[in-house]
Amino acid sequence: MAPGVERSFTAASTIEEALAARRQGASVLAGGTWMMRDPRRGVDLPEAVVALHRIPALSKVEVEPDHVVIGAAVTHAALGRALRGSAGFEGLVAAAEGAANPGIRRVATVGGNLCALDFAAADLAPALLVCEATVELQTFEGPRLLGISDFLKDRHALLTEAIVTRIHLRRDLIASAHIRLPLRQAGDYPVAIVSLAVDRNKRCRIAVGSVEPVARRWTALEQAMAAGPASALDPQRVAELALEHNDFQGRDGKEADGWYRRQVLPPLVKRGVAALLSTEGVAWL
Amino acid sequence: MVVTFQLNGEDCRLDGDPMTPLVDILRQERFLTGTKAVCREGFCGACMVHVDDEAVPSCLKPIGLVQGCAVTTIEGLSSGNQALHPLQANFEAADAVQCGMCFPGMVMSLSAFVRDNPHASRPEIKAAMVGNICRCTGYERIVDAVADCLDQARKAGQLAGGIHV
Amino acid sequence: MSELSATVMNLPRRDARDKLRGRTKYTNDRARPDMLHAVLLRSTVPAGRIRKLDVSAALRCPGVRAVATGADAPGLYGIGIADHPLLAIDTIRYHGEPIAVIAAETEKQARAALAAIVLEIEPLAPVFTMADALQPAARLVHEGWRGYEVITEGGARAGNIAWEAKSSRGDVDAAFARPDIRIVESSFTVGRQSHVPFEPRVAIGSWEDGRAHIQTSTQVPWTVRNVTGKVMQLPPGRVRVTVPPVGGGFGLKFDASIEPITALLARMTGRTVVLENTRQEEMATCLCRENAEIRIRSAVTAEGYIAGREAVVLMDCGAYGGEQVFLTTMTAHTLGGNYKVGATRLVSRAVYTNTPPNGAFRACNGVYNTFALERHTDEICEALGFDPMEFRKKNVLGDGDLGATGQVFEADVLGPMLDRMETLRASTGTSEAKADGRLYGIATTVGTWFVFVGPSAATVNLNADGSATLVTSGVEIGSGTMVQSLPQIVAGQLGLAPDQVIVREADTDAAGLDVGVGGGRTTVSIGAASVAACAEVREKLLRTAGEMLQTRPEDLLLRDGRVEITGRPGSGMSIPAVVAHAQATTGPITGSGAFTAKNTPAMSGCAMGHFIDALDIPVFVVHEAEVAVDADTGHVEVLAYRVVQDVGRVLNPRAVMGQIQGGVVQGLGYALHEEVTITADGRIAQDDFETYRLPLAQDVVPVAADLYEGAPSMGPLGTKGAGEVPILAVGAAIGCAVARAIGKPVRQLPLTPPRVLRLLHEREPPPEFPHIAPGWASNTLG
Repeated sequence: MAPGVERSFTAASTIEEALAARRQGASVLAGGTWMMRDPRRGVDLPEAVVALHRIPALSKVEVEPDHVVIGAAVTHAALGRALRGSAGFEGLVAAAEGAANPGIRRVATVGGNLCALDFAAADLAPALLVCEATVELQTFEGPRLLGISDFLKDRHALLTEAIVTRIHLRRDLIASAHIRLPLRQAGDYPVAIVSLAVDRNKRCRIAVGSVEPVARRWTALEQAMAAGPASALDPQRVAELALEHNDFQGRDGKEADGWYRRQVLPPLVKRGVAALLSTEGVAWL
Repeated sequence: MVVTFQLNGEDCRLDGDPMTPLVDILRQERFLTGTKAVCREGFCGACMVHVDDEAVPSCLKPIGLVQGCAVTTIEGLSSGNQALHPLQANFEAADAVQCGMCFPGMVMSLSAFVRDNPHASRPEIKAAMVGNICRCTGYERIVDAVADCLDQARKAGQLAGGIHV
Repeated sequence: MSELSATVMNLPRRDARDKLRGRTKYTNDRARPDMLHAVLLRSTVPAGRIRKLDVSAALRCPGVRAVATGADAPGLYGIGIADHPLLAIDTIRYHGEPIAVIAAETEKQARAALAAIVLEIEPLAPVFTMADALQPAARLVHEGWRGYEVITEGGARAGNIAWEAKSSRGDVDAAFARPDIRIVESSFTVGRQSHVPFEPRVAIGSWEDGRAHIQTSTQVPWTVRNVTGKVMQLPPGRVRVTVPPVGGGFGLKFDASIEPITALLARMTGRTVVLENTRQEEMATCLCRENAEIRIRSAVTAEGYIAGREAVVLMDCGAYGGEQVFLTTMTAHTLGGNYKVGATRLVSRAVYTNTPPNGAFRACNGVYNTFALERHTDEICEALGFDPMEFRKKNVLGDGDLGATGQVFEADVLGPMLDRMETLRASTGTSEAKADGRLYGIATTVGTWFVFVGPSAATVNLNADGSATLVTSGVEIGSGTMVQSLPQIVAGQLGLAPDQVIVREADTDAAGLDVGVGGGRTTVSIGAASVAACAEVREKLLRTAGEMLQTRPEDLLLRDGRVEITGRPGSGMSIPAVVAHAQATTGPITGSGAFTAKNTPAMSGCAMGHFIDALDIPVFVVHEAEVAVDADTGHVEVLAYRVVQDVGRVLNPRAVMGQIQGGVVQGLGYALHEEVTITADGRIAQDDFETYRLPLAQDVVPVAADLYEGAPSMGPLGTKGAGEVPILAVGAAIGCAVARAIGKPVRQLPLTPPRVLRLLHEREPPPEFPHIAPGWASNTLG
């Protein structure tokens, strides 16, 4: 920032106000846990920021009988509290309550987690992928709804002229699980994440985070499972399929190489299926 | 930009860069050096403060986001000649402290935790400490002291008619 | 023994309350608005020649008050050899090396002015590994190595070999040529460990009445004093060092680093200057526990007698010799410890590379040599079919056995300690059931350390209020020696309560020489000096009281704040009354004491290039670990950990238990989590808390410990240092337990999940050292 220039900081109270600031070039500030580390990465903090925490609509979780709406400014801790005990959302709750560490979870938001472009290990991304969440954006042209998969793929371009406002979830899951693999018991970013869910049609959805730069559904494995009987939700059997259909290119990082991230996927899937089977929702199996 | 908030119960008005981390204001402008800036990335917990009664890392909290909030630091937890917080008293009695630099943050994290989780188990206490690193002690004595503190509070509570920490 | 009963107790820490309230002012809490802030310009290349360095534009930047370069502090410093400039002079030897420093009114202004420094560096081909450095045609990291001042004589040096120490006892060739032996050879490699003290290296320098005053977070105030004098070309007496409470050291602060810079800038500006490493700087230039490469060969008979042993230990000192030069000595006592061996020869080389310099870390050199020795011992047992516990019981050092330098060990200590471990295990039970389907391993290992004693001084002033002031250069780094064992010792000697003993913060102007807090020496050395000081105080006190009571001094004793006539409790008079009388008649009662090593000799011709010939105070440990390994992910969970530690005499059992828990957990970090790697451009890759993984609360277990008392020690009241060794055998115990769990040889630490999974899948190449010659003698400078 040039000397003498005062940083612009807008605490927007409406989405419109936030969008106006965004249009003038302000960067969106959520909890701050990612952006505040920019200087450490050698990136200057933005000259203008717009904070979303004062927009009431973005700071609440609405839990309805057939759907759930999560404001982008809801923290991980608040999301976990709101959905704890809701059948079908076990995985999302585990993601919200297992990410990073307790202090960060009280500050870091859902929107921030999805919009941190270089953050491959975001816990909520695979968890929301198996929820088949819809991302609501406010763009300069108006509101827009987008599937989470498409959002994650295109977010780099999308976010240049949009703000993530809400996440919409259908309540069509009967069970879900979220298996994260940090290198310690907890506290570091997971080197691999597997999220799983079973919907009302007894179809299994699986997503993988942190293994590749962006989280994605494990379509090959889902299809292989769909080809078998529903009763085939057997941990060992699914792990074998995972081994057979492992189409991930693991990313190399300081903490783990690509080989390792890829190698641990079948066992994580196995654990995930076991976790699914332990939920009430799949007692029918 | 002007930011106003409550700091240890008193009005605090600042005029400065709204993206300044709260920890820098506390240490450099208010000389509240009990809040330690160790990793400055939210991993170590040495800079934990209470913002509106929630324990959060002050290194990642831009002051623009504390406008209108109530901030309590370790200095505000038991100020002046006030008695120690029961956790502090337990840590002292258990000889849990070594170099001591992690403890202000440890106390701020865990004081909020014991308030909200009076029946926490040992594994739950450990899970609550994931964002508080101690390089000296190997943690177990801290966990013991927290467990003892909860135990004492429960016993005192039962005697006093079920009031918890 | 009443002196002992008055000394041994679970005294709580007097500094805990302020620390818990955030009131303690560590050095980095003492920055004030009127101080200048210093920021370093550091190299962004690992090797090069400075072609141009022009700071004139930086001097004109807003707020800048001074800029210093190597030309302003031309003296070189070091341990053993003076090879280290304060700021790079002509040559860049590592990524991150300080080149210039700016002092400005604010840190922001100082940082902004960095960009105005004109710096041109001609890059040189870096030498990153010890293998590269030992190539016959390797570029020399220090071209002018021959011209350096040698501070300690005796070590062999050549080119990239900064220092070489050897020990040789008996006819090793003959032992290996015996027809009745089998030869077992093992190779090991270990990475660096970063200390991560919560308070980084930080100093505040001022220039007062023509002298430098440095307040700093250090373990070695006298080293800082002497190094500052050396690099600024001042008599060291013109430097005063004081030490506020230190926020963790673990050995990192056992050398001077940035402190003299603040004195230099203070002299240039007349202002007080604060310099604090950022966390990134702290980790990128951490004087880590060195990475090392070890090859051991042993000749063992079918009966399990170790007829001969030889080893080569390469220690990476990084760009400057530093502590590694001294630590080459330690191999004789760590790798050469634990077991009785017929004939033995060990060589330890500190090797220069273009990487950040390494330093001392708790049980330095011992941690990896113990890992290597204990894993090698298990490999011997496997190759020859011995039970590892029986083999250890049969071969551990006992009374009259010889160490690698020919020194004679006294008393059976390790043997009985192994028995005590079995008793401890019987009382705690084992945890195999917790493995719950994972691969389970248990291992019992031993370790040998020695307390490095060295000189200490103490003064005790007895005050008229009955309190005593202890003045030493000791530093409270968190281990509790200054707030627990020392006031306990002084109180026990003078019949006072420990809270009547005031402990003066280290000040080189007030107290005599001390080599610093490290190696587990403080309680022993400063404690012994304090006992000597108390003896003088006691003598004066009893003489005065004798006159007042008309009693012979030898019939008097000190108890509960009184001078009593022996056998008549409650008789005599209070100490304040005696002190007041003395002050009016013969003068205030003070005493001074000094202590140093007795320098146990080595056997003639056995030790070459050693800073210390033999162990004055050996310390032994027995560590046992139980682990479960997840074969799917490579995660190692520690299920249980047990320690039997030789403490000589324990003064504060609870404090020692706290040191054991903390030291073991640091060792678990080293064994399992904490990894340092060097990037392609010579940086430490893990320079933050995201990538450098310290153990967290969920990664640790309560350590069950048994304190073994009674082994001989020259320490006061029979004490030995207790804070250093808890980390000593953790890498060994974990490494051996994991190897047994997975059924594969473990030859490298840390055992991160990816490494363990690679071991399980046989994708981890065993260490190979083409730069270590097959013949032992070819690895020495002759």
